[in-house]
Amino acid sequence: MAKLRSPSRKTWGSLLVNGIMIVILVVVLAPIVLTVIISFKDQQDTIRKPPVLFPCDTETDGFDLDACRWAVEGYERVLAPKPSEGLLGFKLTGKLFRLYVPNTLLYATATAFGVTLLAGMSGFGFSRYRFPGRGLLLAAILAITGVPLLTNILALYQMGVVLRKSPFPFNDRVFLIVVYLGFFLPLSVWIAKGFFDTIPRDLEEAALIDGASALGALRHVTMPAAMPGLAAIFLLTFVNVWNEFLAGYLLVSKNELKPVMFGLYDFLSANIINLQVIAAACVLIALPMVVVFLVARKSFLSAMVEGAVKG
Amino acid sequence: MIQAWRRRKKQSRTDKWLPFWLILPTIIVLLIVQVYPAIYTAWLSTQDRTPEGWVPVGLDNFQRILNTGLFREAVGHTVVFLVGYVVITLSLGFFIASLLNRKVLLSGFYLTLLFIPWILADLLAGIVFRLLVAPDYGVLSGILGDPNLFPPKGLSILTASRPSPWIGEFPFPPSPAMIYLIMAAAWRALPFITLLLLASLQTIPSEVIESSRIDGASSWKIARHITIPLILPTLVVALFSLILGGMNGVGMVFSLTGGGPGTNTHVLSYHLYTLGWTRLRFGQAAALALMIAVVNWLLIGGTMRITRVDERTS
Repeated sequence: MAKLRSPSRKTWGSLLVNGIMIVILVVVLAPIVLTVIISFKDQQDTIRKPPVLFPCDTETDGFDLDACRWAVEGYERVLAPKPSEGLLGFKLTGKLFRLYVPNTLLYATATAFGVTLLAGMSGFGFSRYRFPGRGLLLAAILAITGVPLLTNILALYQMGVVLRKSPFPFNDRVFLIVVYLGFFLPLSVWIAKGFFDTIPRDLEEAALIDGASALGALRHVTMPAAMPGLAAIFLLTFVNVWNEFLAGYLLVSKNELKPVMFGLYDFLSANIINLQVIAAACVLIALPMVVVFLVARKSFLSAMVEGAVKG
Repeated sequence: MIQAWRRRKKQSRTDKWLPFWLILPTIIVLLIVQVYPAIYTAWLSTQDRTPEGWVPVGLDNFQRILNTGLFREAVGHTVVFLVGYVVITLSLGFFIASLLNRKVLLSGFYLTLLFIPWILADLLAGIVFRLLVAPDYGVLSGILGDPNLFPPKGLSILTASRPSPWIGEFPFPPSPAMIYLIMAAAWRALPFITLLLLASLQTIPSEVIESSRIDGASSWKIARHITIPLILPTLVVALFSLILGGMNGVGMVFSLTGGGPGTNTHVLSYHLYTLGWTRLRFGQAAALALMIAVVNWLLIGGTMRITRVDERTS
């Protein structure tokens, strides 16, 4: 019976599964592909009624590849390049890339460094040492991992208000980075602990017997082995900060210090009818993260599995 | 030998305090950014802001929130949103994970492409969907706005009002805007849930499935009696994580619907934002945050029980 199933049936089954997967992928990726297409339309083609999928129709033909009217107007209006004397011969004067992207680069890099460092330290501590209260602390960190920003944002906002009035020096940028640090750290501690758990302890013990100090063994033996895991934490945190909207929007008082997601939100309300401009802004902001993900997909997925299945 | 032994003894004394110093910075950051604000929120929820400062009002804030119609409506919208979002994401995620688990050629390739929506910010994903369904000019608006396909007036995200509710004031059936919000949120959450379920499916030994297939069990029966019971803990974890994310996510509401049209997508997370930052009722917003936080803590506690943290902290 089923045991004697002919190989051809198996082949058909595999073809069917692949076929379904391709259909699913087309549906899942359609919104992204459509956004990219919209971003290359010109203004006239985005405000047509009824809307057309491709700007490739002529008076006689529904679709003519030679007649396509692709345009980069949307990108020009986002970036607003102006000639200047710099290295490149031009500079970007669009607010999104002049102001908000550099802000986010700062926030994301600083947070990712901080999270990687702290998660690396405490992940190592939790993985290698047994001490009183360890289980409780780990459980508490895991519990905090699940706490979303939304319920704490109000208190954090009030803390910002109070601190701004206080005589202490207060810096919006530092405040936001500390908040991000606290929100992306817990998951990373668990991911780091998971990675350290997989590194055999024998290596360190050999180094210790050879006379290395505990910190020396950490730096010269364990850290190199843990690098891929720490890199995954760095990238995951970077992407998370890049994509974060609510804290950047509410906790920073001056608009010019806000991150890129606020810039995009602001941009959306200013260009609500120019779909090609909005689409171009989306493509430009999402593209770096998509590229980072595609290049480092293995380390992303392993960190996700580590964090998701275990934590 | 003796020298080496002495050295180790000396080290073990510094070793004793090393884990403490390694973990301390993390604990400090978490106390400042996570623990203290949670306590502060609880305190704020019993206060009201007056020109003279904060005055304690007991449980008034809770009473005032619970008595507003908009809160009850927001609860309804949140329930409708969560049910649609969870059902679509979990069933599609399970389906795709089962397909990928069949040792499909290129399954890594499929998984990578499938993951692209997850890498997009929720705010940005909302804009992407808005480009498709924007009235008149959105690429899909021609189909969606066709009154012949979707009587009586087509599905417009901005103007179509909510159909009249079936039971009392409960906002079901949902408005077109709510349907788009559910679809956009499910689209973005699908990759993560698929990965979670796939990782769990891969822990089931293939012999179990094979032998029951040889015994003549159909695919549906295998799924129902073997696969689903075995991955049930993961399914519940996925369910809780979807509820957590869906109840607390707000970026997509901002960019896709702005809570509207009218109050058609005014979910609880958006209600919290409007209470705090457009109506400046901070005490009430804190009370709402505390209520949402209690649900969050229950979900987190449930997740931790299922995944049995005590075993993994070893």
